[in-house]
Amino acid sequence: MSAHTRSYLIIWIWLLLLVIVSVAARSLLPKFQALALIFTVAIIKALLVGRNYMHLKNEKAIIYAMVLVPLAFVIILLFGLFPDFVYRG
Amino acid sequence: MSDAGPPVGKTGTLWFLASEIPVFGGLIASYIVVRLGSSGWAEASSHLNFTLALVNTFLLLTSSMTVVMAFAAVRENNFQRVATFLGLTVLLGLGFLGVKAMEYTGEIKHGFTPASGIFWSFYYGMTGLHALHVLAGIIANAVLWISALKGSLAKHGHRVELTGLYWHFVDIVWIFLFPLLYLA
Repeated sequence: MSAHTRSYLIIWIWLLLLVIVSVAARSLLPKFQALALIFTVAIIKALLVGRNYMHLKNEKAIIYAMVLVPLAFVIILLFGLFPDFVYRG
Repeated sequence: MSDAGPPVGKTGTLWFLASEIPVFGGLIASYIVVRLGSSGWAEASSHLNFTLALVNTFLLLTSSMTVVMAFAAVRENNFQRVATFLGLTVLLGLGFLGVKAMEYTGEIKHGFTPASGIFWSFYYGMTGLHALHVLAGIIANAVLWISALKGSLAKHGHRVELTGLYWHFVDIVWIFLFPLLYLA
């Protein structure tokens, strides 16, 4: 087994373990702490897939810019809509 | 070391995936703000089949591993192994859609349709759009799998990386849909 395939298998095991952490958090922790942990774990899982399986960790800054610009628009949309819905109903 | 940028196909694929971020990101952002601004969503989401969603999470995460294994096999010029892992990816993707179909069937039988309320509209909209992306990924991977079986993929091995990038993106979308819909 090559070093690449071994690292892909290790990442897969981590991804499955993190799913178990999310499910356990939902059952064991108070709601706010559970939600904070569940979404932190989701971000870690996405980074594991992006950096290791999509090999983004080896890419140049321009590739990150391509991803970050639309992501910034989504965040602007989120915070643009947020006050309207939450405070005015 | 070469100063050349990333290959055109890869740049194009990543550009396409970047354009998908506002599609799913917009839906997810809307879901979050509408959910925070109203009540009764936790009760509605309690009717979802958590076990089937957990099975689907396992299937999709595993398929991400098999598709990157196919890419690793391309780099090793082992196209028999490429065919095996692409075949597994297609099977896992079909498994995901099969489980999703079972889930939809159960929910519709219990009277929860897209018209049953705002939560259900979001649920069917987000998971339905995601399932369509999974279907597109299955078709792309199946085409490459057939090429690998016929022995004609060696000339176009880089295509495994491109479909893999798409497949991982679809996996990342599910990584966020699963907690938003089933755990929150």
